[in-house]
Amino acid sequence: MPGTASKPDSSYFWDKLHSLSGIIPIGAFLAEHFWSNSYVLVSPERYNSTAAGLEQIPWRIPVEFLFIWLPIVFHGCYGLDIWWRGKANVLGHPWMSNWMYVLQRWTGIVLFAYIIWHVWIERFATHGRSTFAGVAHDFANPYYTAFYVIGVLAASFHLGNGLFNFCCKWGIAVTPRAQRAAGFFGAFVGVIFSVAGLLIVAGFVYNWHPFSGYL
Amino acid sequence: MMADKTFILRIKRQAAPQERVVWEEFEIRYRPHLNIITCLRDIAEKPITRAGDGTTPISYDANCLEEICGACAMLINGYPRQACSALVDNLEKPIRLEPLTKFPLIRDLQVDRSIMFENLKRMKCWVPIDGTYAIGPGPRMSPEQQQIGYPMARCITCGNCLEICPKVNDHTQFVGAAIINQVRLFNMHPTGNMHARERLEAMMGPGGIQDCDNAMNCVKVCPKSIPLTESNNEINRQVLKHAVWDWLNFSEGPTERDEEWKRLGIQK
Repeated sequence: MPGTASKPDSSYFWDKLHSLSGIIPIGAFLAEHFWSNSYVLVSPERYNSTAAGLEQIPWRIPVEFLFIWLPIVFHGCYGLDIWWRGKANVLGHPWMSNWMYVLQRWTGIVLFAYIIWHVWIERFATHGRSTFAGVAHDFANPYYTAFYVIGVLAASFHLGNGLFNFCCKWGIAVTPRAQRAAGFFGAFVGVIFSVAGLLIVAGFVYNWHPFSGYL
Repeated sequence: MMADKTFILRIKRQAAPQERVVWEEFEIRYRPHLNIITCLRDIAEKPITRAGDGTTPISYDANCLEEICGACAMLINGYPRQACSALVDNLEKPIRLEPLTKFPLIRDLQVDRSIMFENLKRMKCWVPIDGTYAIGPGPRMSPEQQQIGYPMARCITCGNCLEICPKVNDHTQFVGAAIINQVRLFNMHPTGNMHARERLEAMMGPGGIQDCDNAMNCVKVCPKSIPLTESNNEINRQVLKHAVWDWLNFSEGPTERDEEWKRLGIQK
């Protein structure tokens, strides 16, 4: 009824949780994931020992469940709901921020499929044991490599633009100047993750270890 | 007699919401500085299509004719804007006119934009001052505050920002940037601020601030150049502060506190 207090429903809470979960823990996990995988750029042995180290953390399953699986499932499923509640109109109105909105939606959909596949082949099909040889074997398939490249770029964009959205949605960047600064920050993060991710893919595909000089 | 220069106007028409959509073309005699409203008046004067068929005058809303009432918002070449300030000289021909799509259609280019008024009421975008006795003058507003508030106060509730927003559609109850901007304006007004809490509560409710997903189209179509994204993010900040504070204090607002005080026998 107009004029009376509209009782808060829970959508505000879930929307905020969706926004937060994208940064912590999912964004933080992505940073850790890219960092750990970067060991492939040192040497296959370093990659294997890093993977083994992660596989031997205490409380592995509860930690994976609480900090990786549950947040990603929530973020992904709630994201699908947000996708459903939006009607993109970028074709008639191709402004940059409108493109960002649409790309955020589509990268989300791509990532939903990609993460299911990625977790299946690298986490469950391997029984939770990742080795350089195993991953390099997957990358021998050009379709796998192509999907990896798409996944890396989509995840990097989604995180970078998501950081910008987070700054807006949490009232951190209010004025247009602050919004622009947040935009540059997001773009910076997105580019860094894209470059790092592509180099990691190259490390597996070409057996390329540019940091091996450290050994 | 020298032939007049003309141009074509294509108009999406519908006699009623359930009627068939018809596109009609009109040939309008060109004059310098024509605007869309003048074209529609030309048609009303002589409602004959380009093919020479007689038709009815176009139904549309218009009032001030100087872009301060918001009534004549429509899609002009697919872009939501005010017909009165859309000059034919600056538009690509043939010019395409369609009604706004996010509001219930009445007829032709006329839509029912009253949902925005209902939402302004729902979000408590007013200053309640009526009572049984005079309560005297309110607090003063500093010139700085006036300067920040004025651009927000320019809103003419035309609905362009809702029309262009991907999150205003049948799947959401999103109130849109215009209403969020008014919440910010009234919250910064010294008298309005006394009810800031109620507005922030409403902003957390259905169709509230959380539905904004940052496509940021609103600010691009605002005819009054209101910093709408700034208002959105400012309200995001206010609502978040309010929500976290309440959550940390298990508080449900003044009503609960009143009851608690009554229970403890405390006179207010």
